[in-house]
Amino acid sequence: MKRLRRYGPGAAVAAVPLGLALAGPLLVGEPSARGASFTVGGGHWLGTDFVGRDVVQQVLLGGRPVVLVALAATALAYLVALPLGLISALTHRRWLEEVLMRPLDVLLAVPSLLMILLVAAAFPPGAAGLALLVAFVSIPDAARIVRAAAAEAASRPAVEALRMQGESWWRLAVGYVGRSILRTLAADAGIRLTGVLYLVATAAFLGIGVAPDAADWAVMVDRNRTGLLIQPWAVVVPALLIVALTMGSNLLVDAAMEKHTPPPKGRRPGSRP
Amino acid sequence: MNENPVIATVSGLTVEVDGRALVDRVSLRIRPGTVTALVGASGSGKTTTGLALLGEYPAGARVTGEVDVRGARIGYVPQHPAAVLNPARRTGSLLRDMARRQVRDLPRSRRRDAARQRVTEALADAQLTGSEEVLDRYPHQLSGGQQQRVVLAQALLLGARVIVADEPTTGQDALTKRRVVGQLAAVAARGIAVLLLSHDLDVVRELADEVLVMRGGRVVEQGPVHRVLDAPTHPWTKELLAEPRTLPYADPELTGAELLTVGGLTARHRTGGSRVTVLSVDRLTLRSGECLAVVGRSGSGKTTLARCLAGLHRDHTGTVLLEGKALPRSLRDRSREQLAAVQYVFQDARAAFDEHRPVLDQVARTAVRLHGTGHREATAEARQVLTDLGLDEILARRLPGRLSGGELQRAALARALLARPRVLVCDEITSGLDPVTRRSLLDLLAVLMRRPNGPSVVLITHDLDTAAPATRVAVLDGGQVVEEGPRERILTAPQHPFTAALLGASRGRGAAARP
Repeated sequence: MKRLRRYGPGAAVAAVPLGLALAGPLLVGEPSARGASFTVGGGHWLGTDFVGRDVVQQVLLGGRPVVLVALAATALAYLVALPLGLISALTHRRWLEEVLMRPLDVLLAVPSLLMILLVAAAFPPGAAGLALLVAFVSIPDAARIVRAAAAEAASRPAVEALRMQGESWWRLAVGYVGRSILRTLAADAGIRLTGVLYLVATAAFLGIGVAPDAADWAVMVDRNRTGLLIQPWAVVVPALLIVALTMGSNLLVDAAMEKHTPPPKGRRPGSRP
Repeated sequence: MNENPVIATVSGLTVEVDGRALVDRVSLRIRPGTVTALVGASGSGKTTTGLALLGEYPAGARVTGEVDVRGARIGYVPQHPAAVLNPARRTGSLLRDMARRQVRDLPRSRRRDAARQRVTEALADAQLTGSEEVLDRYPHQLSGGQQQRVVLAQALLLGARVIVADEPTTGQDALTKRRVVGQLAAVAARGIAVLLLSHDLDVVRELADEVLVMRGGRVVEQGPVHRVLDAPTHPWTKELLAEPRTLPYADPELTGAELLTVGGLTARHRTGGSRVTVLSVDRLTLRSGECLAVVGRSGSGKTTLARCLAGLHRDHTGTVLLEGKALPRSLRDRSREQLAAVQYVFQDARAAFDEHRPVLDQVARTAVRLHGTGHREATAEARQVLTDLGLDEILARRLPGRLSGGELQRAALARALLARPRVLVCDEITSGLDPVTRRSLLDLLAVLMRRPNGPSVVLITHDLDTAAPATRVAVLDGGQVVEEGPRERILTAPQHPFTAALLGASRGRGAAARP
């Protein structure tokens, strides 16, 4: 019951876009015939888009690329950041830490969207390429968070006690340090996912990694802007879905973080009847 | 004394968390200018009672009873004063901010000087010497004792009429203890009431007027200090007051050949960009079957010495020989046999356990890693050693967070013993424990040493009572061994002035060194 109250709102908000993204393509059925551009009604619940396609169908199809690319990019970023951060936090060799972390600082100095635009201009990427690119620009942040959290855990006597027991590096790094920083990482992954979603949607809006008429929420927002005043649904619905996904994942992270903040203080004596 | 008006009363205070009473029907009265001491083992409800005066209770607590402080301000000096000082601000600016709020009604031109004046007075009252330098420093640049006095100065500056001092002398060496006693006595002499929470009976004897002995949240005995401490009626008070161990830890018959030899050791610490030499030891030996106590004040380099032996401090030159063979400097380079031969028990047992795994599993890993025992046999062995040390299986299957400090320190001993070590390095393993727990842990250590194939022990301590039963004592000051020899000689006829000063401070608080 407590759990439901804590995670309920976040889950409810995130479930709609996530469900649509994952199950949408299965529900879409045969593509219907194209009609006139930017019409409302006429058998189309949400009207038609800029080339006369059914907006409902486009919404059902358009979530998967955004969500998959964002999830893949976040996962990839952590796949690289975790070992980097853990190694540099646990090593006693200064030079190794420098070699691992210094190049990331350079990368950190370049604005991530600019980086994506630059690389995309030289090598136009597909969906997988976009995921790689977004993951790449997210690595420095993630690696720094991992390293900072792990360095704190690695300085505890428990790590030295494990070393006295002759434990392997793997047990130290993953079994203890990794386990200790899990909460911090979960919170960071949630925020990172939001950031990545923003990058992916922005990139798609700017036409990177997607075809100009692709079924993609971000592309829909861009292409259908011209008809916003005649047929708002083709812009409003995909935009709202992206907002809901971001908000929902943020709420879930907040709920998970709340778990360990202490409950309110006890009462003062005398204040009770 | 009793004609003094009462400044704060607690009556029938009960604090329950999850149906368990932390404090059970406690009543006490506090009078200005007197020191009231709450004495008891850790977990006896002292801190909960002390914080109740401030209106603070543990999260989710159910509170009944009455706490009446008549609007008086209460100051709190916690055991770890660094936790309540803002690390990003200099001491002076912290204190002046507080003072500035009190001089608001003065004309603007006079406020600054008045605030300064108040800060200076508060610092003098808290006996903070060299206060000009202290004002310019950040909290982390102050010693533990200075931090404590800064917190005390804050409380005095805010006009506290009652000071709650939580374990002010725990983990402090004899000389620092004397200073803390002096400073609290000075506070009481100014007419401020002091509530002293402590398990250090020497300090209580010297400072307190009234004593309440607590156990399991209840007050089991109370009265004037001399009545309670000199003629205790409750068995628990008697146990608390029992003399520290004087029987030697090691059996003198069993002393054998040289086991561990330290030669030409120089250890450095990195501070900022530079490396500072913190320890240099020409020669120090440990024979098999003996217990070598290394005594010194905090910062004397005794922990660094222990860490060099165990391979935890790698920035050193010189040799550490185990039975004539050099031990690698870093434990990463030590073989399994070498790791098993020299084991280390940490000061803070709670921090030395992984909070996510049951104690039994963690203890068993020693046998798995260092002796290649299978998981099942290792667990059985761990269970047996833990039971042997007084931790039954129900306790051992718990997470570390649900064990007391004394229980965890036993588990830490078990974890080291499973390696079947030749040398056991114990770093301040009894500091922070109450006298009863401390004595039982040290008795246990003696039992372990006297067993066949039992370990030899290097006992790092700041407490002379703990060091007294050792075979030999080495005294460390400023990173040098200033004196070393058999305990009888060091404790009765100290040669070095520093040793004499340590002994003097210890005798001064009533606990004569017992050779």
